[in-house]
Amino acid sequence: MVYTKKSPALFIIGVIMLAIWYTAYSGMLAGYIEHLAHGKKYKYGSELTSIPLYFGLVAAVVGLWQWFGTHTKGSLDYYSSSIAGGMFILLIAMLVRWFLAPEIAGVSISMGKVGDTGKYIHKLLGLNYIVIGIVTGLIIVNVFKIPSWAENGVRLSRLGLKTGVILLGTLYSAAELKNLGGLSIVMIGFFVLGSVGMVLWIGARRNIPNSMGGVLSAGMGVCGVSATVAAAPVVQAKSVEIAYTIGTILLWGVGCMFVFPVVGQLLDMSYVQFGAWAGTGILNSAQVAGAALAFQPDGIETLKVAEIFNITRVLILPIIVLWLAVWYVQREGEGAKKINVAEVVFQKFPVFVLGFILLFALSSTGVFAPAQHYKGKYFDNSPAKVKPSKLLTTEKIAVLQAEFDKIQRADRKAAVQRLMDNTKIMSIEDDTQIRGLINAKVMSKKANKILKGAHKAVRHTAAKIKAFRDWITWLFAFGLVGLGMQITLKSMKQAGGQPAVIGGIVGLTKAVLSLVVVMMFIQTTI
Amino acid sequence: MNAPNSVLLASHGTEGAMAAEQMAIKMCNAQDTGLHHLIVVPTLWQGMTGDDWLNNGSTRNTFRRYLESTLEKEVEEHIARVKQLADGSGLSYTNEIVIGEPDECLLKATEKHKYELVVVGSPRPKGKSGLRSRMMTQPVSRALQTSVLMVPYPHD
Repeated sequence: MVYTKKSPALFIIGVIMLAIWYTAYSGMLAGYIEHLAHGKKYKYGSELTSIPLYFGLVAAVVGLWQWFGTHTKGSLDYYSSSIAGGMFILLIAMLVRWFLAPEIAGVSISMGKVGDTGKYIHKLLGLNYIVIGIVTGLIIVNVFKIPSWAENGVRLSRLGLKTGVILLGTLYSAAELKNLGGLSIVMIGFFVLGSVGMVLWIGARRNIPNSMGGVLSAGMGVCGVSATVAAAPVVQAKSVEIAYTIGTILLWGVGCMFVFPVVGQLLDMSYVQFGAWAGTGILNSAQVAGAALAFQPDGIETLKVAEIFNITRVLILPIIVLWLAVWYVQREGEGAKKINVAEVVFQKFPVFVLGFILLFALSSTGVFAPAQHYKGKYFDNSPAKVKPSKLLTTEKIAVLQAEFDKIQRADRKAAVQRLMDNTKIMSIEDDTQIRGLINAKVMSKKANKILKGAHKAVRHTAAKIKAFRDWITWLFAFGLVGLGMQITLKSMKQAGGQPAVIGGIVGLTKAVLSLVVVMMFIQTTI
Repeated sequence: MNAPNSVLLASHGTEGAMAAEQMAIKMCNAQDTGLHHLIVVPTLWQGMTGDDWLNNGSTRNTFRRYLESTLEKEVEEHIARVKQLADGSGLSYTNEIVIGEPDECLLKATEKHKYELVVVGSPRPKGKSGLRSRMMTQPVSRALQTSVLMVPYPHD
């Protein structure tokens, strides 16, 4: 079979990308960009004048070859057939990030802030390019259907997400990974085992078949659809049980992706708190990433926390599948299919996690950043690097002094005191305390802005690390828009029956309990 | 009404459709009546890997093969059951398995061949378990040129 479609679609996508680049580069879009900026600096100016040029050229050239060339069966044909779909997702992500999301933000700003929250509606609802991108993907697949020339490429979104996670490995320090890893093992261990056990317990009381209990517990407990896909053959789930479980999880996952960021904003959660909560409480791993980026669209601190939780979950998956296999065999006796432990562990092991570990190890050697780098940034406090204009002015010190009593923790008080005394942050330790204070949102917006300025004056992001961050943002945006294109309403509509009832109880319990644990025990920084 | 000479039994494995099987056999009480069994595997199954991205290709392929074999087994059981009933009544039984939207497949089948009667099951009542996938939709009821017998849902 020849997979590449002789279609002008890819060429047209290339032309559209080049048109975006040209109109932005030549200044033709200047007026519109000013409108999108809403009185501030437009954030995506440099992206607009570079990314569409590179990808547009590739799409136009390959598109011409696909349209007019001769294609024969083989590996080249198979891989080239995925380019059109991949570029289609990328174009949607570009249009949403650069134009649609800023338009929606503009409408939201014009409507004013919402009641006592002090936030605009788009901030409150997390209506940023990630969420809008996923919704656009959902609309495309459910209203218009994926065009046949794009079908192969849409599957590339999984590769985008996995590559994003691998690259994330460059952004953790050893201390961060140790602290986040420990936290995630405790949280995930407790909530995964708790929810798997709870589903099996409720299922036994409601007399659902073992196969349904098995597949539902994996989905509700570990990582949603991914766990269902892994566990269904092991517990010999019936087709309707699979449909019920996946429908329930997708419905919950998409709902959580919208609800969690709103709750996080309303409770003024820190990045660490929200990442830990989303990573534990949201059933579906794709929606964990979506919610993390919805909560913090222009930074990846929340995503870093949430993805550690996702990785912990996926590492636990083979263990849970084995547990369910043993549980099912014990319950069903002779009727159950025997499983090979080594085969299950080998097949279910997430190979991409090895890539994440490798990049973390490489990053720890300093290969991607200056030798003194830390968390992808390096601290340069020398007089030559801190310009006089970046030092705290008397007025700024007065603002901090006025709010000094709001700070409760002695270590943070001491760090702010040293900042005021020296008009700049003096050590990495002080900077960590100041960042914690900023994330905790204890002080006013004005004071926080001054603290952020002091932080930026001494910390610098290494160029390679900054590049990794940009790539990671794009890979996740690409992956999540593509995953949106794979969530069909037909499968979501199958939510029902006992799985919907049990799933509702367990999902809600997990979300609420994990929120309570996070708010009570997790600090604002790691 | 005289017994029809050719009947189309359309089903996609729901409980309502199983009730329709019994009725279709009863309707075809004359020897040599042609009973054509249309079995639709709904396209909703194509979206059943949802937004899974954590699994590797091998796990996803295992799942797809498992789901396909489960559906295949269910269809085979379905065919065997109806064939046994049809053979017992001396009917001429044929079947056809298609993948698609149940309503569209039904319309296509009636356009391809003229039947005297189409027998389908009723939609699932609220609270009853089963897939959400309808064979007899509004567009189908408007477009069908054949008499339709909708068999009541089998209440316990």
